[in-house]
Amino acid sequence: MTEAPPEVPVWRTDLERIGLVRRILRARRWYRADWWFVAISSVLVAGFVVLALVPGVFAPHDPREQVGPRLLAPGEAPELEALVVPAGSGVNELADLVSEERIKVGVVQGTPSSEAVRDAAARVTERLRADGGDERLRIRVVRHETLDEALRGLEAGETVAVVGSSSELARVLDDHPGLVMVGPVDGEGAVAGRGFPLGTNQLGQDVLSRLIWGTRVAFLIGFASALLSLAAGLPLGLIAGYVGGKTDRVMSLVMDSLYAFPGLILAIAITAVLGPSIFNVIVAIAVVYVPTYYRIVRGQALSVKEELYVEAARSLGATNRDILRRYVYPNVIPSVAIIFSVNVADAILTGAGLSFLGLGLPPDTPDWGIDLARGQENIQNAWWLITFPGLAVMSVVLAFTMMGEGLMEIFNPKLRDR
Amino acid sequence: MSEVIYSIRGLSVEYATRSGAVRAVDGVDLDIRRGEILGLVGESGCGKSTLGKAMMRMITPPGRIVTGELWFEGQDLMQLSERKMRAIRGGRIGMVFQDPMTSLNPVQRIVDHLTETIRTHEPSVTEAAARARAEELVERLGIRRERLDDYPHQLSGGMRQRVMISLALALRAGLVIADEPTTSLDVIVEAKFLDLLRELRDEFDLTIVLITHNIGVVAEVADRVAVMYAGRLAELGDVLEVFGEPRHPYTQGLLQAVPNIELDGAELYQMQGSPPSLLDPPPGCRFHPRCPEAMPICSAETPAFQSVSGEHLAACWLYQEHPEVVADA
Repeated sequence: MTEAPPEVPVWRTDLERIGLVRRILRARRWYRADWWFVAISSVLVAGFVVLALVPGVFAPHDPREQVGPRLLAPGEAPELEALVVPAGSGVNELADLVSEERIKVGVVQGTPSSEAVRDAAARVTERLRADGGDERLRIRVVRHETLDEALRGLEAGETVAVVGSSSELARVLDDHPGLVMVGPVDGEGAVAGRGFPLGTNQLGQDVLSRLIWGTRVAFLIGFASALLSLAAGLPLGLIAGYVGGKTDRVMSLVMDSLYAFPGLILAIAITAVLGPSIFNVIVAIAVVYVPTYYRIVRGQALSVKEELYVEAARSLGATNRDILRRYVYPNVIPSVAIIFSVNVADAILTGAGLSFLGLGLPPDTPDWGIDLARGQENIQNAWWLITFPGLAVMSVVLAFTMMGEGLMEIFNPKLRDR
Repeated sequence: MSEVIYSIRGLSVEYATRSGAVRAVDGVDLDIRRGEILGLVGESGCGKSTLGKAMMRMITPPGRIVTGELWFEGQDLMQLSERKMRAIRGGRIGMVFQDPMTSLNPVQRIVDHLTETIRTHEPSVTEAAARARAEELVERLGIRRERLDDYPHQLSGGMRQRVMISLALALRAGLVIADEPTTSLDVIVEAKFLDLLRELRDEFDLTIVLITHNIGVVAEVADRVAVMYAGRLAELGDVLEVFGEPRHPYTQGLLQAVPNIELDGAELYQMQGSPPSLLDPPPGCRFHPRCPEAMPICSAETPAFQSVSGEHLAACWLYQEHPEVVADA
C-alpha cells in the first residue's frame, strides 16, 4: 500500500504554468496575496521616479536660490515688497530708474526689503543686457530706522525711491500724500502667484522645490549604491556558491563580518575616511549592502547547482562558465530583483541618515537628510521644515519596501508557509 | 562477436561521508558492445547510477573515482584533461536523466538547449544552421518544430524526455547512457519511449546503456543485461539467457519477486533481509547474508566474475571451483 501523497493546493501546480501578469491578478484568489499592495506601491514608485527624472518640470522654484521671504508657513501668502516714488515722477517700475549714476533707494533696516531691491536691480540689469544694451541699474541702499523715516527721506529728496513691505506701506502711506505705491519689486515666483505651498525655510528657499529636487538626490544615491552593491555582491555570491569549498568559506567569513557590523556606523566610518562627495556616499552605502546580495545569491547558487538540469548540462559538455552564465545566473535573478527593490529603500534611508548627520553631501545640495537636519533648528516655530522631508523619506521607503515584499509574495508564495 | 565500444576495467568509486568512505562501485569490469542495448539493473542504492555517471567522469566531490580504466574509442578517459573530457561529454557520449521534469533549464527555450549544445562542440556552426539541425532532429523524434520555441514547462514529460534524447543525439553521440529514463513517465508514454529508443538505435547506430530498476523494461528492450548488487556486478549475459536461466541466487530472487500473470493467487516471493550498508559491506560475496544457498566460503572469499556458460557471466561460488566443492567430490 502506498500512502496518499500530501494534498497540494491546485494553485501550486497551476502556478508554474501561467505568466507574471496573470500571476499577480490571481495571487489574491489563490493565496490571498494582496496584489493591490503591488499596484499601489508601483504607482508610488513610478511617481517618485518621474519626479526624480524631471524635477524641473514640477518644481516651482530653483531649490538653491532664495526665492521668497524666510520661514513662510505653508500656503501663507508672501509679503510683497513694493516700490514707492513721488507722485507724478513718471516712474512705474524699477527699470524706469536706470541712469548713469547710482540710484539711492531707501529701505527699513532688518527687513527683507534691501535684499529684494538688490535682487530686483540685478534682474533689471540682466534684462537690459539681454536686450543688447550696456546700461546697468546701480543702486545704493540707504537704511532707515522706520518706514515712516524712509518715506520722509524720500519726500526730502534724499532718496529717489523707497522699497518696503506692501502691507505696512498701505498703513502709513496715507500720511504722505505726495507719494504713490507703483508696484511690487519681487521675483517673478512670488509675484506670479506661484507661491510656496509647503512654505519656505530659514534661507528663503522653497520647501516644495527642495523636496522635489531632493527626490533626484535620494534616487541617485539609492539606485547607484544598490546597483553598485549588486554589481559586487552578485558575482561574488555566484562564485562562492558555485565553486564552494575553501573559496566559499573565506568569502563567507569576510561577508559575514561585514554583515555583522551595524550598517549606518560602517557607512559613517567609510564616508569619514573617503571625504564628502556624493560618489563617496554611494560607495559607502554600497559597501554596507554587498553582503545582502552575496548571501542571497550564494544560497541560490548552492541550490541551483545541485539541480538535475545543471548536471544534464555538464553531461552535454558545458563548461563551468557556461553553467554559471546560462543556468545559475538566470535562475538567481528573480530573487535578486526583489532584494534590489527593498535594498533601494534601505539605501535611501541610510543616505538620508548620513546627510542628516552632516556627512557626505555638500551643504547646498537639495537633499532630504540635509533639510531635516536644518529644519531641526527651527523645530519650535516651523513644523513644515521637518514634516515634509520626513514624509517624503517615509513614503519612498514604504513604497519600495511594499513593492519588494509584494513581488516576493507573488514570485514565491511558498515562503508564506514558513 | 561485435566490437567493444566502451570498456570498464576495475572501476571503483567512493563517496566520502562523515562516517567513512562509502564504496558505491567496487571493482567493476564491463564491456559494452557497439550497437547493443545493455540493461543495467539493480535495486536502489546498488551503485548503478554512480556507475553511469562514472562512465562520463561526472562524479563530483565528495565522490571520486578511486581506481579504474575507462576505455572508449581507443583512449583511457581517466587520462584525459578536463577540457578533452568536455568534448567527449555530449559530443561522443550522451546522457539522459531520470526526471525529465527537472533536467531542462526552466529559464531557457528548448531550441536554445539544442543550439547551444551544438555550438559548444562545433563553434563554427551558425545559429541558423544549428536551429535547422535542431528542427530536423526533434521532428524525427515526433515533436513539432513550432514547439522548439516553448519553454520546458510547456512540454509534457514524454516530450521533455524526447528533448533530452535529442540533446544527446544532436552531436551524433555514439553511446547514450540513459539513467532510469522512464521512471517518471506513465506506462503508455514509457512504452512509446522505449520503442523510440530501439528505433533510434537502429537508425543512428547507437549504443545504449539503460540503467533501471524495472526488470520488465530491460526484458522488453535490452539485448544484454547486467545485474548489480551492492556495488558489484552479480550477473551478466544475453537477456534471454539471464532471465530464462538465472544463475546467481540474487538474480533468481529478483526475478521471482516480479509479479506475473502466471502467479495465480500464490504468494509472491520475498527476498530475506535488505541490501547491506556500503559503509561496512559483508566480507566475501556481498549477497551471502541473504543468500538461500550460502556456503562457508561465501563469507570468506569473494567469488570471481567469470563465465558460467559461454558469454553468460556470474559472480557466484556455486559455479566455481573451490576447496569445498573438491571436498564434496
